[in-house]
Amino acid sequence: MRYAEPETVEEGLALLSTHDDARCLAGGASLVSRMNAGQVAPAMLVSLHRIDELATTTESAEGLWLGAMSIHRAVATEARLRGAMEVVRSAASQLAHPAIRNMATLGGSLCLADPKTELPAALVAASARVEVAGPAGRRSLPVEQLLVGAFQTSLGKGELLTRVFLPRGLGGAVGHHLRFSRVSADYPTVSVSLVLAMDGETCSHARVVLGSCGPVPLHVDAADAVLVGSRLEARDVAEAGRLLVQASAPLDDVRGSAEYRRMLIPRLLGRALSQARELAHV
Amino acid sequence: MSDKVSLSLTINGAQHALTVAPERTLLDVLREELRMTGTRRGCDAGDCGACTVLVDGLPMLSCLSLPARLGGRDIRTIEGVESGGELHPVQRALVQHGAVQCGFCMSGIVLAAKALLARNPSPTLDEVRHALGSNVCRCSGYARVVEAIASVGGRP
Ligand SMILES: Cc1cc2nc3c(=O)[nH]c(=O)nc-3n(C[C@H](O)[C@H](O)[C@H](O)COP(=O)(O)OP(=O)(O)OC[C@H]3O[C@@H](n4cnc5c(N)ncnc54)[C@H](O)[C@@H]3O)c2cc1C
Ligand code: FES
Ligand code: FES
Repeated sequence: MRYAEPETVEEGLALLSTHDDARCLAGGASLVSRMNAGQVAPAMLVSLHRIDELATTTESAEGLWLGAMSIHRAVATEARLRGAMEVVRSAASQLAHPAIRNMATLGGSLCLADPKTELPAALVAASARVEVAGPAGRRSLPVEQLLVGAFQTSLGKGELLTRVFLPRGLGGAVGHHLRFSRVSADYPTVSVSLVLAMDGETCSHARVVLGSCGPVPLHVDAADAVLVGSRLEARDVAEAGRLLVQASAPLDDVRGSAEYRRMLIPRLLGRALSQARELAHV
Repeated sequence: MSDKVSLSLTINGAQHALTVAPERTLLDVLREELRMTGTRRGCDAGDCGACTVLVDGLPMLSCLSLPARLGGRDIRTIEGVESGGELHPVQRALVQHGAVQCGFCMSGIVLAAKALLARNPSPTLDEVRHALGSNVCRCSGYARVVEAIASVGGRP
């Protein structure tokens, strides 16, 4: 195996193009684990840790750009992630366990595209965009267009993810992430990421996204539409939950059967909404 | 065919010059090249925490870390925890509370606790539990382990 530590995105792209089987190494938490198990053996490993641009956070009037190499711990402690953007901070501070949060990265989480993980769903809830660099230059796309299947992204050969844009979102909106897991350090059985805004007791904006409920984060416009304009009463939550369950294709594994997950969805939705509502009224 | 990478690691304050295949993990290097076998291999997948070391004071998993990236960082293993032949207060508390059973998980737990106490000298039981979120004990004597660590910071 060959190994390189480029210092710029352009150098990284040049290295990725030298081998058919070149891979980016971000935090390494998943890639090294798969190499240890003999599941992958890349011919060339391109470590991204020396590329300063990928570790940079920049703020603009519209929102925040987070570098792909931001570790979960740094995202969890980023004080500028407030309002709607807080859904991403909330997910990063709860996911996995401390040692993984000290190692794994935002970009690695997106490019791994594991349906059990939480940041992809939180980023969809935050209406994030990603920037991708490749042989043909840079392009930016909504995060939903990056995540095309379980462990599958739309990244082309020789492309790498450079950064993620989080729009500030509506004034007064709050972001919140709720995970239900067997023990707190485990992958969630189901996770709910949402952005909510209230106008008095009436919901004026809702964007709900579920993790572990399909190959990619589950977002159903019709479920959001049920919540918007309602007072988030039990029957509104139940109807939104029903639409989400109907659209879901939950994982069926050691953490819970698909049936069990379908039962969890409306209950967790209710809990996540009432927690977010408290935050919105503070 | 493998490229080899030459690097210098700072482990417990001492420099080690090494030439390794890039896919060798820090855990491989510690145990097999440097014979520092206090760092344990449980799962090799990030699930158990037996291989925990401190990198610049933060708990990280040596089974998922490539040493090629750790040049210039301060790596601490269980071998570097006692000083002048004296056990670390966390180690003393674990012994006093009878918290150690087979001991396999303990190097990782001691380092995670040391990192916690450096940031938060008087953690609550709940803060200790969260800080040990990465560490599995197959003998599952968690209650005494958590009490022992909290006692170092003066909590019951
Ligand atoms: C034991 C364990 C428990 C976990 N538990 C949870 C959990 O409870 N919740 C949760 O949400 N997540 C969990 N995760 C996943 C974790 O949060 C990360 O998503 C995951 O480890 C990948 O991040 P990484 O930085 O380590 O990426 P790596 O392992 O370095 O890379 C992952 C993949 O992405 C590619 N890649 C990385 N960065 C880029 C880039 N910039 N451009 C192009 N390709 C790239 C790599 O080539 C590789 O294929 C867990 C992981 C482990 C190992
Ligand atoms: S051996 Fe590293 S986490 Fe289990
Ligand atoms: S004491 Fe035996 S594994 Fe923890």
